[in-house]
Amino acid sequence: MAIPPIAALEIGTSRTVLCVGESDDRGRVKITGVGTYPTTGVRKGQVFDLAQARVGVELAAKQAEKQADVSIWQVLLAASGGHIQAVANPGMVPIRSGDRVVTQEDVEEVTENAQTIQLDADRQVLHTINQSFTVDDQPGIVKPVGLRGKILTLNVMAVHGLRNHIENAISVAKSAQLEVTDVAFSGICAGLAVLTPEQRRRGVVLIDLGGGTTNYLAYGNGVVSALGCVAVGGDHITNDIALAFTIPLNRAEELKCAEGCALIEPESGTRRITLSADIGFEERVLSCKALHTVIHARMDETFRIVRSKLDEGGVLPHLGAGVILTGGGAYLRKATDLAQRIFGLPCGIGLPVNVSGLDNVPQAAALSTAAGLVLYGRMTYEDRGILSPLKNLFKGVFRR
Amino acid sequence: MNQEPISGMLLMGIGGGGCRLAAMVQSTYGDGIRALGMDTDALSIRTASEGGLTCLLLGGSRLTGHGTGGDAIMGRLAVQDDLPNLTAHIQGVRSVVLVTCLGSGTGGGATPEVVKALHSQGIATLCFVTLPFAFEGENRRKAAERVLPMIEEHADSVVVLPLDDLFADTREPVLATALEAADRVLATAVTLLWRLVSTPGFIALDEERLHAMVVKGGNARFGFASAAGPDRALRAAEMLRECRTLRHGDALSKANALLFGILAGRDLRLAEIGDLMERMRACCKKECVVEMGTVLDPDFEGRVELVALAFESWTAASLVAPIPDVPAGHEPPVADSFPIRPGGRRSRSKGSKLSFGATGRGKFDQVEPTLHSGQDLDIPTFMRRGITLER
Repeated sequence: MAIPPIAALEIGTSRTVLCVGESDDRGRVKITGVGTYPTTGVRKGQVFDLAQARVGVELAAKQAEKQADVSIWQVLLAASGGHIQAVANPGMVPIRSGDRVVTQEDVEEVTENAQTIQLDADRQVLHTINQSFTVDDQPGIVKPVGLRGKILTLNVMAVHGLRNHIENAISVAKSAQLEVTDVAFSGICAGLAVLTPEQRRRGVVLIDLGGGTTNYLAYGNGVVSALGCVAVGGDHITNDIALAFTIPLNRAEELKCAEGCALIEPESGTRRITLSADIGFEERVLSCKALHTVIHARMDETFRIVRSKLDEGGVLPHLGAGVILTGGGAYLRKATDLAQRIFGLPCGIGLPVNVSGLDNVPQAAALSTAAGLVLYGRMTYEDRGILSPLKNLFKGVFRR
Repeated sequence: MNQEPISGMLLMGIGGGGCRLAAMVQSTYGDGIRALGMDTDALSIRTASEGGLTCLLLGGSRLTGHGTGGDAIMGRLAVQDDLPNLTAHIQGVRSVVLVTCLGSGTGGGATPEVVKALHSQGIATLCFVTLPFAFEGENRRKAAERVLPMIEEHADSVVVLPLDDLFADTREPVLATALEAADRVLATAVTLLWRLVSTPGFIALDEERLHAMVVKGGNARFGFASAAGPDRALRAAEMLRECRTLRHGDALSKANALLFGILAGRDLRLAEIGDLMERMRACCKKECVVEMGTVLDPDFEGRVELVALAFESWTAASLVAPIPDVPAGHEPPVADSFPIRPGGRRSRSKGSKLSFGATGRGKFDQVEPTLHSGQDLDIPTFMRRGITLER
């Protein structure tokens, strides 16, 4: 099926990314345009200054339009922030046929039942993800039609967020003359771009280390088993460094990028780092070990929080394919080594391998969410797959 | 009352352990030391007062002299109640040497508040804090480690002494005598420090020099050694180098500044001082600034006692030069922009203790906090975990 170009917007805490993707000859999604611009007006994934955030969106859109040679007026939007939560919602129906065989009608009824989620009025459901069916006491069934039993249960995971925060992000896009056709959780998008079917089948956790948030998405037996968002990201590391050494945030950011390391290496013990003088800033000499100590403490804590969340859901023992780090924070030196120690599992950096066109882009993992959102757009356009967006109004929105 | 009005130095003991140590220092030193003990426990106050120590009961109206029961919050509230009473005792004081034992209610709760109050008055503080024994349990250790960064935030120099290390150095096999000996080591060392400053010796170390050292000190390590006999100097130097509280010489080798005191009888020979200094300098970096002082006491014939304070994060050009002349590149701008004035308000100087904003949340100050397990994740992790950063 021919699909028109899809534009995906991620208003991240540290930078705004707008990706344009099209289906290539082999049916794969190819990213044809990428626009990025440093974000201001967003903290911990949440917009606090519409006007400032709009600038990033406008400039990223212009860049992407030029690169992809399209005009963009409709986009898909990635949502993130500590307000995003996942809740399990089981639905249950008795099997009504006389011979106690599960029929398609039973499946539809239980699906409808499970997807009816009672939430506070200020919360908005972003996704409902079907996990697995249970027939009587036999769990983990993917296709229950034809099986015999008395009770059919479906486990559904609902991803929801605060309506106001989501609408604030939509308002930013609107103020930049972009209509938002659908909103998706950033963590799910990154998973679509990065994880292979084999990893999903074996069990894997993807940790998206963003500027303001850390999203995680775990798969077991091919279905999403846990997901969530911790409102801690690279910005916190920068802030920690700035406070530890009483230096400005921009210098702390430079220091993090140039000398940051998630582990305290023995050789950093005696090394000194010189911060060059600048207007209003005198030259400083800092201990490399102290810098690494500050970063290590934050990264260690972040990974441990994710680990504890996975542990609560009983997911940890089922992660045969290990831990995958993506997002800009994945490029922090030794981050994979630290994650390996904390999770006790192999760990690597996840690139957006399920799309093409980003092979020559440096630090492509930072584009995982936006690239995955393009994939999400194509998936919902075709209306197949396990993700059921509430708004599925996506139409061809581009013209050349 | 054993107060020396002329002295700008005050010895302050906080909590039961702190008062005991302060009283011990006072009794070792004799008349002339300006000292103050503060505790919430009337019994401990009474015992310390009997030894001649000036004492202040904290939280009398709140705790009625029964102590905090190990609750640091009560310790903090108690000292907040009675902080105005402290003012009379710190008139004319420029430097405070504070001794306290962490892990307890008063030591842990009151000390950060007192240090903060002294800091706000522009008084330099050198804190000797002991950490509980390992066998006292995880809770006490954690309580102590939680408090330490709060003290470090406002103190000028902090000497952290794990009791396990002091205990090991005493080489006493019996618990009761070992505890007493550990106390004695610390008390003797503080006394010697006092004597170095206040007693004219062969080479004097005046109050001003100690003040400058402390103000720029940061976290410090402390060592003490004593020897008698013909080659007392060499043996004492060797003992000091091997001292566990100085990390078996590691603290000396990393020190940027060393305060080194010698207490001996009138039989101390020049050659011995030469030997000692040679040994000490051999342990230190070339650029390490060594400030040495001697005290001669007829009671110490045939003996020598050494005390060393090794400051790792001390910076050069701060000892004598006025603050505005400190060359760029050695000091963080924050220290440069707030020159230290005697008796005036000042900022924290360079040290491994760090300055934080009012909340320690930096750019997240006005943002809804990210909470996890009761902790505000916007506050730097190293701060919440009480990690001391090396400079």
